[in-house]
Amino acid sequence: MHNSSQLRKEFIKKWIHGLQICCSSKKHMNLMERKKKIKLSADIALASAKNATTSWSKALIADVKIDEENMILINNLSGPESKFVGAHDQRVTCHKRIRSKKILKKSCGVGKRIKRMGSRRSDLATCIAERLVKKRTKVLKRLVPGGESMDEVTIIKEALDYILSLRVQVDVMKNVVNATGVLD
Amino acid sequence: MSSRRSRQSSSGGPRITDDQIIQLVSKLQQLLPGTHIQRSNKASASKVLQETCNYVRSLHREVDDLSDRLSQLLSTIDADSPEASIIRSLIM
Repeated sequence: MHNSSQLRKEFIKKWIHGLQICCSSKKHMNLMERKKKIKLSADIALASAKNATTSWSKALIADVKIDEENMILINNLSGPESKFVGAHDQRVTCHKRIRSKKILKKSCGVGKRIKRMGSRRSDLATCIAERLVKKRTKVLKRLVPGGESMDEVTIIKEALDYILSLRVQVDVMKNVVNATGVLD
Repeated sequence: MSSRRSRQSSSGGPRITDDQIIQLVSKLQQLLPGTHIQRSNKASASKVLQETCNYVRSLHREVDDLSDRLSQLLSTIDADSPEASIIRSLIM
């Protein structure tokens, strides 16, 4: 898949850089502010460490860009902006198209389902299973950044990569917390 | 049967094969903690997807929790200790 130790190194580098930028701008922060900055720089560092190779990382950066305060961080961590440009606008138009498609599909699908269930009772279990899969896929789409505009196969591929990257993030953060805790 | 599946798939373009989905679902299964061997049919696919959603949510929660702890630890570090200067030079 991808080299996770490479991702680790990139993530650590970018996260430290991000934290330096955050802390240089404001000397004294309260707990909430500091926590938000830590989490934000970790997320941006993780996404930009992917170097625009995956959809979820592009979507994450596009989401963060909405808040203009984050631009300094993003510009410093993700290098050339062109990689991530346009992802947000694409998603907005995609949403509108998909929403109207979904409404159309729902109204057509119900009639089909009733006809199908009547004529082939043995396929009822398959129908229910398929609907369950659809439901779960919808939930997964909401969890993975940028998932709303992906089809079934892409969302699973992106989820695979997203989980691996999240694991790296959690692992590194755990080590930092443990090391900091020992020093107290 | 294959025509029914193509009608249901949400992408208008290439038809999504069952094999592809089964492959991806089994890859997901390998990632999830507490793997149990399951037949790869539609029923277990929905279970794998559910486990995936739960796992992603728990990873999100962990990141949040770790950010909390880190922020608390950084604020309680004794400002004059030599260890604090190490951390400070790294991240501040």
